[in-house]
Amino acid sequence: MHELALMGDILNLVEKDAKQRGFDSVTGITLLVGILSNAMPDALGMAFDMYKAQRMTMLTEDAALEMLIEEARASCPHCQTTYTPTHRIAICPDCSLPGGQLTTGQSFQVKSYEGS
Amino acid sequence: MNITLNEEVLKDNNTAAAYNRDHFRNSGTLVINVMSSPGAGKTTLLEATVRELSNRYRIGVIEGDLATEMDADRIRAVGAQAVQINTHGGCHLDARMVAKTLPEFQMDELDLLFIENVGNLVCPSGYDLGQHHKIAVLSIPEGNDKIPKYPTMFMRTELVLLNKIDLLPYLDFSVEQALKDLEAIQPKSALMPISARTNEGMEQWYAWIDNAYRAMKEA
Repeated sequence: MHELALMGDILNLVEKDAKQRGFDSVTGITLLVGILSNAMPDALGMAFDMYKAQRMTMLTEDAALEMLIEEARASCPHCQTTYTPTHRIAICPDCSLPGGQLTTGQSFQVKSYEGS
Repeated sequence: MNITLNEEVLKDNNTAAAYNRDHFRNSGTLVINVMSSPGAGKTTLLEATVRELSNRYRIGVIEGDLATEMDADRIRAVGAQAVQINTHGGCHLDARMVAKTLPEFQMDELDLLFIENVGNLVCPSGYDLGQHHKIAVLSIPEGNDKIPKYPTMFMRTELVLLNKIDLLPYLDFSVEQALKDLEAIQPKSALMPISARTNEGMEQWYAWIDNAYRAMKEA
């Protein structure tokens, strides 16, 4: 449960850019959150609301957090199948061999923000 | 106005990790990030390791805990330099915290640096500290379900020290099942059964360190 710290990092990144552009406020942030990134969307939402309530950031009262969820995908080096990994991430559902490599699902990025 | 950033959330951490990595390269120090749940035996493992390897390596340890200096004191008692980081509620170490401790060591005079992360099978796995190797300690009493239940930890580590095997006769833990589960999550990771308390299997761990140290020096 480190979403509060992560949200602090997110706001730092956004505010640094916003200040350079001479903005006074931030009304929205869009994140890309991979389901294997160890960040929980609900907890990120809660952290965002807590920062908003503190009124110590550039976030406006009605600022919105949008999260684009990146599903996990993996590809098998043995039979080249691509698949959605469940709990046995590295096991290919087609040939049953281990070695599957994740291609997506670990991203955690600030895509964009709305500032003025 | 909509501004596109496309920045990694952990950008600042990754910058600090790169700084740490440069430091470790310049000083020729092999750095191992040790992660596990609380009570898996990380500190006991490091105590035994310091006792065994102090005659051939100069060893330092960074201890991460929410509170107290207890772990650093245990490491000092067996003769290695230890610096304690208290995260005051934080569930993991990040690269900036590690960077801040480096001036407390004479890095040029360290061959090995172990970073004992905060006991937690979730958050620490997401933070690059600039280490050469990330390893996990899993102990027999925690049960067989931990590898499938915490995939991000076992997917991002290259060695699992299966500790407390002296308790195998008393508990329903299957080493064979753990091997299968690990292969299903990270086929490149190795499972090494050990007991840091009785020293059973510890020679494989010391050989692994020797190999990693040699590989770093030759790189």
